[in-house]
Amino acid sequence: MGKGSLRDLGSACFFLAPALFLYITFVIYPTLDLFRFSFTSWDGVSPVKQWVGIRNYQELFSDRIFWQAFRNTLLWAGIVLFLNVFVALILAALIAEPIRGRVGFQLAYFLPAVQAGVVTATIWRWMYQPNGVINTFLRTVGLGRFARGWLGDFALALPALAVASSWMGMGVNIAIFLGGIQNIDPALYEAAKIDGANRFQLFRYITVPSLYHTIVIVLILSTIGAFKTFDIVWATTQGGPVRATELLATYTYKKGMLEVRYGYGSSIAVFLMLLIVLLSALYFFQQKREA
Amino acid sequence: MKRWFLLLAMVWVLLGWSALSWGAEKITLDIWMQGEPGAVTIHNTILEEYMKLNPDVSITLTFMGGELFPPGLIPALKAGTGPDIFSAGTGPGQPAAIIDAGLVIPLNKYYFHYKWNEVIPPMIVNYTSSDGKLWAVGDWVEHTGMLYNREIFANLGLKVPETYEELVQIVETVKKAGYETPVALGGADKWPISHWQSMLFGYFAGPEGIDNVMFGDGRWDQPEFVEALKLLQNMAKDGWFGPNPLAVGYVEIMNEFWAGKIPMTFTGTFVVSDAFNMLGAEGLKKFGVFPFPPLPGQKIYPTEDIGGGWYISKSCKHPDVAADVLNFMLFRRESRKLLLENGFVPVGPVSDLLEEVVLPSLLEEFFEIVDKYRHNGTIHAFLDTVQPDNVTQVTYDGLQSLIAGLMTPEEVVAEIQKEWEKAKAEGKILKPGGAITSLE
Repeated sequence: MGKGSLRDLGSACFFLAPALFLYITFVIYPTLDLFRFSFTSWDGVSPVKQWVGIRNYQELFSDRIFWQAFRNTLLWAGIVLFLNVFVALILAALIAEPIRGRVGFQLAYFLPAVQAGVVTATIWRWMYQPNGVINTFLRTVGLGRFARGWLGDFALALPALAVASSWMGMGVNIAIFLGGIQNIDPALYEAAKIDGANRFQLFRYITVPSLYHTIVIVLILSTIGAFKTFDIVWATTQGGPVRATELLATYTYKKGMLEVRYGYGSSIAVFLMLLIVLLSALYFFQQKREA
Repeated sequence: MKRWFLLLAMVWVLLGWSALSWGAEKITLDIWMQGEPGAVTIHNTILEEYMKLNPDVSITLTFMGGELFPPGLIPALKAGTGPDIFSAGTGPGQPAAIIDAGLVIPLNKYYFHYKWNEVIPPMIVNYTSSDGKLWAVGDWVEHTGMLYNREIFANLGLKVPETYEELVQIVETVKKAGYETPVALGGADKWPISHWQSMLFGYFAGPEGIDNVMFGDGRWDQPEFVEALKLLQNMAKDGWFGPNPLAVGYVEIMNEFWAGKIPMTFTGTFVVSDAFNMLGAEGLKKFGVFPFPPLPGQKIYPTEDIGGGWYISKSCKHPDVAADVLNFMLFRRESRKLLLENGFVPVGPVSDLLEEVVLPSLLEEFFEIVDKYRHNGTIHAFLDTVQPDNVTQVTYDGLQSLIAGLMTPEEVVAEIQKEWEKAKAEGKILKPGGAITSLE
């Protein structure tokens, strides 16, 4: 290694050090601590953190509420990913067309994204009331048989909240997809049109492949977001009715904070984190392989 | 020489100024408060009065919302950056954890110094102390009862029921009159259902029966608790709580109650202050309260609990001043009168104040009920606040399942008992605080 390279390395280390220090302090260290706590029976308050080995994990795997929360989280992620990736992509493709009021649509879709989660939760909690706007609308248009107490319905509470959550997150994804679509070479569309491609074919064979990397990134970010969801559920149903909307994040909070079982709560958080890391890794490997 | 003299003079001036400003430095106290928004206004008024009388003390009151233990509180206490004084829940769970971790100081010294021992009832001391140490001062006393809309009752020719059968007839009448929801519940929030559970458990088992489980060998799966939940489930089945009791939250359903769309609700005195502010004294008079009428062979037991307690944190630099503030806020005659006038019942006797204050009408009626039936003994208004959190969570889910018809009463009490035994084995249940005898 020459003197110049050493100097470059030194400069690189010098400039990276502050960011690395912050990253280690605020990400690496707390994450390692979380692992450590998951092997203790710590209550989150006392100075004593008693080591219990893998007991928390043994309890976790025999905890039926944990498994219910896990199933709910998977279902939640499925709905949210469908809406926030698939539907968002279609909407972005539609908005990308030179239609009248395009900016208005963009703004309308993006506006919920700038709201706090709790605000969104309050709005949707009100809309889902038995006498809320959704049921009122259904009754007005003669679909009163579909009106129900949405958040009190065991089968529908989770999908209903997932829709509300997607409403909040979809705008950002639409903006990302829109940016991607606008970067696609218009000549590709022109050539395909000359070859007789219809609008669906343009979308299927030009837009989607051109946006592949963008889609993967959005998919990863949406997956992480969906698995971590807490605020909207906590502010509307707190995991209820009974446990119909219990997610891993809300269950972590209940166990860790409310039941002052920080050690056990940490084991759920570790499970959730590993799950997200695994899914993200799968996406990245897939992307790398295809590249 | 002249220059040296000038320099020396300047140093003296600077030192003197620092000493003066040091001496004049105010004692600052941070108070974090949970509860109803209305309570903050009243406490702010009281604290402003304190600061007027004690210009060397500066107090900042921060409202933390309605949660008994807001998530930010414990980390702040642990970091030593939290409040000097704070209000939070009492009992097992998080309160026990902060006490065990030494994050709050015992208040025994002040208990005797300010003669709180002559004011705070032993039952409340029991719930705010452990091992002979007082850890918190109860904030205010809460009762629950059946609130009703006088206009609806008058229009339908209904009278306040004295027996359970009469209440059943009232529910039938209001249903026939077109009220889809005779009794507001707010089951989406889970905790409102536990008000019913607390009251019915108390009615069926009596105060001794509850204490026998809380502090003795009794069990939550005894037949009287099963019967209590059977009654609650039947009420839900018979449409007492409307077609969607689990779909509506407490705030939304109470708005409908105050708007006159629902004839009755079972709730606590904690609503009085905000209702008083919202409806005014005259508006509040449209509503009355009656005790839940007993089944044959049962007695009426007034429900009673404290909302929470006031703690002084370990990191407080001026604990004596903090205790003085607590004493001023909770036990000074004028403060107690102000609290009462705004719908809050401070702990300890208030009968000597009643002639000097104009109570919100609803609170006055609550008082009459409690006075009338206190000789029967009192039962818990909020069992969920005196039970370990694992029991509370299972109870909440069990009660929702019960209302939805997904679980039988036997299954619900079995789950509660299972968690209770677990908490008991781990020493997490409430321990009776015992008498406070020592200053330490």
